[in-house]
Amino acid sequence: MSSIQIKNLTKQFKVLNRHEGLKGSIQDLFSRDYKTVTAVDNISMTVEQGEIVGYLGPNGAGKSTTIKMMTGVLEPTSGEIIVGDVVPYRNRTKLAQEIGVVFGQRSQLWWALPLIESFRILKDIYRISDENYNAMMDFYRTQVDIEPLLHKPVRQMSLGQRTLSDILAAFLHDPKIVFLDEPTIGLDVSMKAKIRTLIHALNQEKNTTVILTTHDMGDVDALCRRIVIIDKGKMLYDNDIAHLKGFFGSYRTLKVRMDGDLQAHAEEIRKEVDFSVSADEEWISILVDEEKEKVLDVLGRLQHTHNIRDMQLEEISTEEIIKKIYEEGVE
Amino acid sequence: MHRSIGFYLRIYGKILVQDIKSKMSYRSDFIISTIGMICTNIAGFVSFWILFQNFPSVDGWSYYEMLFLYGFSLVSLTPVQCLFDNNWSLRIYVYSGDFIKYCFRPINLFFYYQSEIFDIKGLGQLAFGIGTIVYAWAKLGLPVTVLMILKMIVFLITASLIMIALQNAAAATCFWIQNSFYVLDLVFRFKDYAKYPITIFSPVFRFIFTFLMPIAFIAYYPSLVILRPDEIPLLSWLSPVIGLVFFFLSYKFWMYGAMKYSGTGS
Repeated sequence: MSSIQIKNLTKQFKVLNRHEGLKGSIQDLFSRDYKTVTAVDNISMTVEQGEIVGYLGPNGAGKSTTIKMMTGVLEPTSGEIIVGDVVPYRNRTKLAQEIGVVFGQRSQLWWALPLIESFRILKDIYRISDENYNAMMDFYRTQVDIEPLLHKPVRQMSLGQRTLSDILAAFLHDPKIVFLDEPTIGLDVSMKAKIRTLIHALNQEKNTTVILTTHDMGDVDALCRRIVIIDKGKMLYDNDIAHLKGFFGSYRTLKVRMDGDLQAHAEEIRKEVDFSVSADEEWISILVDEEKEKVLDVLGRLQHTHNIRDMQLEEISTEEIIKKIYEEGVE
Repeated sequence: MHRSIGFYLRIYGKILVQDIKSKMSYRSDFIISTIGMICTNIAGFVSFWILFQNFPSVDGWSYYEMLFLYGFSLVSLTPVQCLFDNNWSLRIYVYSGDFIKYCFRPINLFFYYQSEIFDIKGLGQLAFGIGTIVYAWAKLGLPVTVLMILKMIVFLITASLIMIALQNAAAATCFWIQNSFYVLDLVFRFKDYAKYPITIFSPVFRFIFTFLMPIAFIAYYPSLVILRPDEIPLLSWLSPVIGLVFFFLSYKFWMYGAMKYSGTGS
């Protein structure tokens, strides 16, 4: 059974054309000069029960708008959308029983209350039976070290503990679909790993559909088989990551290390090769398309002009693929 | 999905107990704000008392009648303070986009939002108000019958709905305008006029306070039922209905704003 069905979904906003300066502001007060902005443009997709879908796109691509339509906060301008078996904006209350929502930086828990009390209130709100509630809590105990969290007021928790608690709270009523909006934003490496493991385990155990929006490709690599990419409201890609990697099969990342200012070196290399070049504290990365030029040829050329101390060769990473798609699109 | 009142009361009770427990644990905060509330009430009473040292009566209203009115307004202003205090934060949640977190629960949004905060300090005001009413009642030699007390309770509750309605409506303006604090503040300042008999104002303000911003129904019109049983105007008898109607309209207005709310980008 498919758990989300979206067909030709479009959302447009009317935005006032703003004028500059004080005179412009006064003009705006009386202006009827609107323009239409299309935030989501004719998107269609079907998500099966139990899938984890990475929903990706640069800032302002229309991700939030789509999520808001799926959760019933926004009414679509046109198109069809069914989540669970509900038309979201028509029946928000019924939908709420079927879904869970987590925002990376906005806790939905009662700020002053210890976590266990929040859980007990949620148990009442969602009418979770004692049996299901206890089973879920037992499952949580097998997954995370929950005891130290239970008696701590949410406001005293670290960001990581709070996110963890929010995720546990979102799954508590065993929803069919959970929307996770940047669940690992601002967290340290070990907390990120913990949260990814938890999401994976919950998905496996409960067969919950998960829609994950993120900018962290580590989340995608750890959790998603399928990704959907949108930009400027339009769908760019909807398929397996493996498939996407096939697309870029001829790409290799050549990493070189050298003495001196890496940013300056990267700048020079950019003039010498025809590929995208980036530098971090340790490595200069060159994304080589082997259909154009072999990696070893590039390396050979660079050896003449630079003093290379070390090198590595890598497959293209998800991060780089996504970056390429944002920048160039999929042919 | 309609749920019974019992369902909502049980949830409210649970949140309330936990909330009070956690507030008590911040003891100095609790004590200081309680002292502040007592001082505010005493200061209000003192200025009222000083006024009456200079005038024996206001527009035919004796000191004890005025005191009754004062106590009545204190009590009927308590529910808005205790139960609907979260309205003051609404514009902040809406402006920052945090309001969206209230949109995903399978219960009434208005209830869920308001249930989050219970302002326990209001209970001090309630005690103060009841004390004032009882004192004035005794001094005025009003009869103590079951019917009178029943009337009193009904009129107090419905009167309290007026202020709740005004505050709901004022707070909900934040769904449309950015700086709604001034609207809320304005409405809240007007409540200070509720403790005076409306006859002392000019006809223009009498009209405003009766029909546009109906603060005369917070104390004046309902009090007449108790204080002047011989000359009760129609508006006094209507005040429970007006309270209910205004509350319902303000609820609809609040929910209308909340349902069209769509948050900020993330």
